[in-house]
Order: sequence, then structure tokens, then C-alpha cells
Amino acid sequence: MNSLYVYLFVALFLFCVGLWGVLHRRSLIAMLISVELMLNAASINFLAFNRFLSPDPAVGQIAVLFIMGTAAAEAAIGLSIILALFRRYQSVEIGKARELKG
Amino acid sequence: MVEGLSFELLMAIVVSMSGLVAFGLIMVFTLRSIKASVTVGVVGSVLSWLAGLYLFIHYWPAREAVIFQVNWIVSANIQVPFGFYFDSLSLLMLMIVVTISTLIQIYSIGYMAGDPGKSRYYAFLCLFAWSMINLVIAPALIQLYVFWELVGVSSYLLIGFYFEKYSASEAGKKAFVMTRAGDIGFFIGLVLLFLAAGHLAMDVFSSGEKIAAILPTLKPLFPMKPETLLTISAILIFSGAVGKSAQFPLLTWLPDAMEGPTPVSALLHSATMVAAGVYLVSRIFPFYEASHTAMLVMLCIGTITMLLSSTMAMVARDIKQVWAYSTISQLGFMLMGLGAGAYFAGVFHLTTHAFFKALLFLCAGVFIHHFDTNDFFDMSKGGARKMLIPMIAVTIGVCALSGLPPFSGFFSKEAVMGALAAKPNKIWLIAGLLGAAMTAYYSFRVIFVMWFPKGGAAGHVHAHGHVGHADAKEAQEDHGAHKGGAVWITEWCMLAVLIVLSAITLVLGFFHGDIEAFVAGAKETATAVHGAAAEGEHGIGHTTVLVLALSCALAGVILAWFEYGARRATQAGFLSRLKPVERLFANRWYMDHFYRKLLDYVVYGGFTNTFTRNDRVVIDGGIDGFSNLTIGLGRVFSRVQSGLLQRNLYVTFFLLALMGLYFFLV
Repeated sequence: MNSLYVYLFVALFLFCVGLWGVLHRRSLIAMLISVELMLNAASINFLAFNRFLSPDPAVGQIAVLFIMGTAAAEAAIGLSIILALFRRYQSVEIGKARELKG
Repeated sequence: MVEGLSFELLMAIVVSMSGLVAFGLIMVFTLRSIKASVTVGVVGSVLSWLAGLYLFIHYWPAREAVIFQVNWIVSANIQVPFGFYFDSLSLLMLMIVVTISTLIQIYSIGYMAGDPGKSRYYAFLCLFAWSMINLVIAPALIQLYVFWELVGVSSYLLIGFYFEKYSASEAGKKAFVMTRAGDIGFFIGLVLLFLAAGHLAMDVFSSGEKIAAILPTLKPLFPMKPETLLTISAILIFSGAVGKSAQFPLLTWLPDAMEGPTPVSALLHSATMVAAGVYLVSRIFPFYEASHTAMLVMLCIGTITMLLSSTMAMVARDIKQVWAYSTISQLGFMLMGLGAGAYFAGVFHLTTHAFFKALLFLCAGVFIHHFDTNDFFDMSKGGARKMLIPMIAVTIGVCALSGLPPFSGFFSKEAVMGALAAKPNKIWLIAGLLGAAMTAYYSFRVIFVMWFPKGGAAGHVHAHGHVGHADAKEAQEDHGAHKGGAVWITEWCMLAVLIVLSAITLVLGFFHGDIEAFVAGAKETATAVHGAAAEGEHGIGHTTVLVLALSCALAGVILAWFEYGARRATQAGFLSRLKPVERLFANRWYMDHFYRKLLDYVVYGGFTNTFTRNDRVVIDGGIDGFSNLTIGLGRVFSRVQSGLLQRNLYVTFFLLALMGLYFFLV
């Protein structure tokens, strides 16, 4: 088996774990962590493709740097939303925030 | 066609516009001041009378039609002209209209004295005369139609003049709606004709040769031969005349129209409004002549109307009602004449009738003014015979109405009878003679009752009449308090008009030949010649018809004398011994009941109900259903908004995965 596939499988595993976490964990903190996992999986993909397929080594790394920046911003915003929700519901459970129910 | 402003054109503009100008001036400026309004109205009508007289004399003997017109509506190849059309018929009718409307305006100075609405009254009179004058001199049927409707509007305004009285406003409404029922047919007929011929120029439709010339060029509208189209549109246009001239079956509005002031009734019954229908038919008479069916329909309707309304007049006790029924009957008689093909006879009877009927109504107005009652039995008991001038005038009018020589009605009636006698089927002549006898009977009934009052409870009625008289006097004195002797002026305004009209009624018959030469000479239609020829063929000669008509009229007079005039007469009439028949006649053959039922069942029960249901079920229901659907759909789709973030995410990812699969596979 080509070593590229090893990376891709690892990334796939990470992505699936993250997806599962986003869809199933009740806690907003856990969901945020899961999103981070999914972002990491994407980063791994970028690096792997960059390493094995691209002639220019820099492109994938730049993309990964962007992802890390985005993730940091996302974590900051996400945490502040979670904080605001916590103030309102005294809980970080996603099931509590159902006020927009039709 | 307009070439510079000639003096004739100026006169035509004066005759056609002075009424409108007077109406505008009164409505805008002088509504507050009765005296100023009366001056404006009378000056306006005298001006139009002078202009009309000038035109009449100037264009005599009117061999050719004179047309002044401009294009009013121009669209592609359609041109609707607007202007004046002077030929012998329109000049004659114009003369009648301006003369009678002027006389009536002068009469109204006296009749309406002390009425607070006199300014408004004069404004409406001017509007009425203006519409009728322009109807008469219209150069195209479209203009005629426009003024036809304006005549309807102004008659509505005048019939409902005492609008605070419920019956008056109802009568105005009835007149308007009933004539409108006929006008629908008229309008459809006009549209049909317009679509087929492309124009409605009067000079074409009032000339036999031109109609024959355009007949092959008529556009085939529906799968219909030109002759059929002609007949259909002729009958439809005739239905307008049926409404306006109060012919069967649309005749019941006219007796109710008595609710207006009496001078208005006089105007309505003689020169304007009801004359418009007969005028329309004679205006486009060659057009009717081209269709035998239409002529037959006209003859039938005229006959039915004449007989029906004569029977109604035989039992009426209200003097204005009697005259109203006699108007209907005489209009029917004119249409019989026209339907029998005698153009001149119909027009001549229209002319003489206009004057003697105005005379009769104005006399009735004097009596009503004086006795404050409409019942001529009461008038008689109140001492009507002492008012010599009106009594003589009304007698002259009645003699003319019954067709006794030497009054004008005799000549015109005799002309119509001659035309009826020329028809191969003698039933028309018999109907005409029967009508003449009934006319003589009911009109002399009025005269004999008024000349020869018979005992009874005169005291009460007299007192009542006296009170009314005193009231009228007081009102007049209020009005003329600052102007000594105003009562005399108002009285003489009325009496002078009566004298003038009596004189016209007396002498008009002797101008029979001149008018015939004037009206028929220009036309030189085949009818006159044809009529004379037919008379020879079918046996009944001129003298026989004359004798027959006269003896019928005299029979009516003698019957009336024995029942109402003679010393031992009961003044009950032979009909009082036939109660059901009397009731039938008094209730106008139950025509009003029939219309009431028709309205209740068809209009209120049928249409109104259906439309209400349609409104409630289809329109309201439709909108309700639509909004309910919206609300329901909203409810259903709001389930999607579960508020569960993770379920939404599930759906999002699932759809994303599907899309990925799609792009991956395709």
C-alpha cells in the first residue's frame, strides 16, 4: 500500500470521529472539539497531498496555516457563543437551546 | 365640412349651445338668486328660439341636408363626427323643441312662483332643452345616442325634482331605469350597425338610395345576411325608441313621471323625451323601410300600446294621468303611422301632438295650481268652469286630441288613418278607429266632467281647494312682496302661453299641405306615391276613411256626453258596471305588478341572490381557502424547524454526502 493512503486513511478516521462527535455529543464544548478534529483531518489531507503529489512543497503548508488561523478564530467565536448560552441556560447542553423551534 | 364661420353656422352654434351656457351660468353663478336664474334661462331659450327660427326660415324649403361637422373621434379608419345636420325633418323638430321649451320656460315663471328650488328647476330645464336640441340636429347616430342619454338624465333630474318626496324620487328612478332597459337594445343595435357599416352618418341612414347602396358593402359580422343584420339592428334600435317613447312593454314609467312639476310633464310629453323615440324612428325611417319585419314589429307595438293605454285612460281620475295615458296612446298611433309606411303622417302627428299635448298639460297645470288637487272631479266641484281661458284652452286641446275638425289633431290623425287604410290587412285600420273612439271618449269625459259639475259633497272639496288656493296666493305674495302686482304677472305668464298654444293648435292643421311639402318634398320617398297607389288598390277611399274616423270619434264623444255631460248623467262610466275590467284598467293591466314580480323573482331572487352567493362562496371562499392553505402549509413546514441543532446538522451532512456522491459518480 502506498504511504499516501496511510495518511488519507488516518485523516478519514479523524474526520469521521469529528463528524460523529459533532452529530452526537450533547455538550457544546465537545462539539467544538469535534469540529477541531475535522479541521485537523483536512489539514492532514492537505499536507499529504502536498508531500506526495505536488511539485511545490509550500502550497499545502500555507493552506494548513490558513486552516489553523481559521480554527483559532472559530474557537474564539464558538467559545464566546457557548459562554453566552451558558449565561442564559446555566448549561452547555445543545438540547436546551430550542427557542427557534417552529 | 366646416368652411369658415358663416352666419348660418353661428346661428347653429347659438341654437345648440345656449341651453348649455344657460345651465352652466345658473349652476355656477346664479343659484342663489331666483330672479337672475329665471332671466338667464328665459333669455337663453329665447335666443335659441330666435336662432332656430332663423335657421328654419333660412333653409326653407330644405331640399338638401346642410351639414356642419368636425371630427370628434378619429382612430384608424373610424371617424366619429360631431356637429349639426339640418334637413327638413330636423328643422321642423328643432322648431317644435325650441318653441315649446321657450313657452314652457315662460309658463314656469308663473307656475313655479314661490318655489325655493326655482333656480335649479330652470337650470335643469335648460339642460333638458339643450340635450333635446342637440339630439335633433345630430349628424350621426353616435351623437344622437349621447344626447339621447343626456335627455334621459335631465328627465330623471326633473321628474325627481321634488326629491324630498319619496314617490317623486322613485318615479325619477323608474323613468331612468325603464328607459335604460330599452337603451341597452339601442346601444347594441348601434354597435352592430357600426361594426357592419363602419360609420353611422345620418345622411346615409336617412336616405333610401344610400342604404340600398351600402347594403352589399356591409361587413358580414356573423354568418348572417346583410338583410338579416339590418333587420336585427333595426329592431334593436327600435327598442330604444320603445323605452323612450313609453311603448309597450316599457310604458309604465310615463304615468309615474307625473310626479315632476306639471310644466316638466308638458315638456316631457310634447317636445322632448317621449318625442325622441318617435323622432329617432322617423329620422332613420328609410333604414326601417328597408326591413319589412322591423316595420311590422313597429306597427304591432304601436297598435298594442295605443289600445292598452287608451283603456287605462278611460278609468283614471287624475287629470295628469289621463293626459299621460293619452300621450302614450298618441305615440303608439304615430308609430302605427310610421310602421304603416307613412313617413309624413307620423311626423305630422308628432308635430301637432307636441303642441296640443303641451297645451293640455299646461292647462292641467293651471287647474292644479289653482285647486291644489290632481283629481278632475274635485276640480269640477271646486268650480273649474269659472276659469274661462283655461277651460276654453283645454277644450281646444281635447278637440285636437280627439281628432275633431278643424283642430290640428284632425288633420294628422286623418293622415295616419289614411296610411292604415292603405294596408291590405284591415285589422290595423279597425284598431286605429277603435283607438280614436276611445281617445274621444276618455278625453271628452274629462271635459264634460269639468264643464258640468254634478252635485255631491262639494263643500268639503271646495274648502280644501280654497285653502290650497289661498296657500298658493300667499306663496305668490311672499315671492312678489317687494314687487307689487307680481301675482298678476305670474298668472298672465301662464295664461298667455295657453293662448299662444291654443292659437297654434287651431291653425297648425291648415298648414298641413305646406308642412307636407316641406317634410316629404325633400325626401321624395316612394312611400307617399306608393301609399296613394295602394289606397286605390285596396278599396277604401280617402273620403270613406275620413267619414269612418270622424264617426268613430263622434261616437266616443256622444258616449261620453251621455255618461258624463247630459243632465241626468251619473258620471260613473259604463266601465263601473264591469268591475273586474275597471280594476284591470285602473291597475294598468297589472303591468306594474308584473314588473314588481319580475324584479322580485328574477332580479332580487335570481340575479342578486346568485351574485350574493357567488360573492360569499366563490370570492370570499376562494380567498379564505387560499389563506387557509397558506396557514396550513406553514404549520406543516414549521415542523422542519425543530430547534434541534444536531438534527439540522444531520440533514445538512446527509445532503452534502449525497451531492458528493453525485459529483463523484457523474
